[in-house]
Amino acid sequence: MITRFITDVTTRFNPFSARAKSARLFLSFLPPTARSSGMNITTQLLPRTSTQPSSLHIKFKDGKEMKLDCEAMGIKSIVEEVDRHSRMLQKEADLAAA
Amino acid sequence: MPPRLRCAVPRGLGSVNPSRISTRSAVLLLPSAPTPVAAARQYATAAAFKLPADYVPPTKPPTARPSDTRKSQLLRTYTSLLRSTPLILIFQHNNLTAVEWAAVRRELRIALGKVSTEGTDSAEVTSKAQLQVIRTRIFDVALKIVEFHDPSKVAPTTVSSLSGEKVQVVYNHDLSKAAYKSVKAATTGDVPLPESSAYGEISPLLVGPLAILTLPAVSPAHLAAALSVLSPSPPAFPAPSKKKNPGYYDPIAQAGFQKLMLVGGRIEDKVFDLDGVKWVGGIEGGLDALRAQLVHMLQTAGLGLTSVLEGASKSLWLTLESRRSVLDEEQNGGKEGEKKEESS
Repeated sequence: MITRFITDVTTRFNPFSARAKSARLFLSFLPPTARSSGMNITTQLLPRTSTQPSSLHIKFKDGKEMKLDCEAMGIKSIVEEVDRHSRMLQKEADLAAA
Repeated sequence: MPPRLRCAVPRGLGSVNPSRISTRSAVLLLPSAPTPVAAARQYATAAAFKLPADYVPPTKPPTARPSDTRKSQLLRTYTSLLRSTPLILIFQHNNLTAVEWAAVRRELRIALGKVSTEGTDSAEVTSKAQLQVIRTRIFDVALKIVEFHDPSKVAPTTVSSLSGEKVQVVYNHDLSKAAYKSVKAATTGDVPLPESSAYGEISPLLVGPLAILTLPAVSPAHLAAALSVLSPSPPAFPAPSKKKNPGYYDPIAQAGFQKLMLVGGRIEDKVFDLDGVKWVGGIEGGLDALRAQLVHMLQTAGLGLTSVLEGASKSLWLTLESRRSVLDEEQNGGKEGEKKEESS
């Protein structure tokens, strides 16, 4: 997953729900240097009895915000969705550098 | 494998009578020439010594999965851990580096050391507390085995002993076929897991990279210390102050703590979420205080109960007594003489 262009990750989930899987796996995909390289990661754990849907909110360097529906999407489709935008940014960055 | 017997190297194998040789190893065992001395001596040759067909070595009981792989032994470690550890906190760790792990463990050890005094049980709890990364899927299987496999209900199987006698042996270890079957029967098929099963509650937690903190006793003081380090929440479990513990605010340690996420806990075979774990950590004075409260409650309840039971009979007696006196007065309206006798 390309994480260079992500500036902000906000997740909220109930770990006792099976639907929280993709949100949790997304957090584990962020590299070890994510926080030190300026990414803001906020996680809110819901109590066990809560029925609120798990949410994943991502902001990119160019200001694009993505609200991903973790309930229905698996981790693969989330990564695909994030990478789709990141690749575009990477292309622009490469052109600017050249 | 038959036992190895030391004997002289045969000089001329060609001279051995082929009719006497049944196996290749017997060739090596037999002396070269049938001398009278050699004939008198009797060796347990491979042909004479044969293991029974269904002999099972006692050190290698049959298993459902290969027992000598690392995964199987890890599974056994986890089952014994789950059976023996009353307090397990489950964390998700998101790509901690080795130095961050070291810093996290160091701070945890310092915090646990502060709540224990030398030479007591609490020091023992501190020394045995462990924060370890687990293999999630294998831990999941171990939880299933611990919950659904009852070793005491396994029927014995008949195998041959070394001498050929039939003996009854129970193979109920965690890698056995019985364990495998009982777990499969409980978790597969259309029948959903029972509501009361702890595995059903904890299984959604077992996703992604996990680490567990194990404490060898349910000690709220130690739990509170661990919580204040690993997932501080200011009013009840504040993070250690910067003045007292500067190492906690080391950037490496802080990076480590940010990546650890407490998702739940298993305390005395029950599953708790974050708030439940905090509640257990907030028990003042530990288990002893809880027991004292219970004893106090039972004592006061007992006192109340006796007075209530006494009260019913007492009031009955009082009513009957008053009724009797009223009846007596009514009767004695006419007969004055009798009243004096009765009331005396």
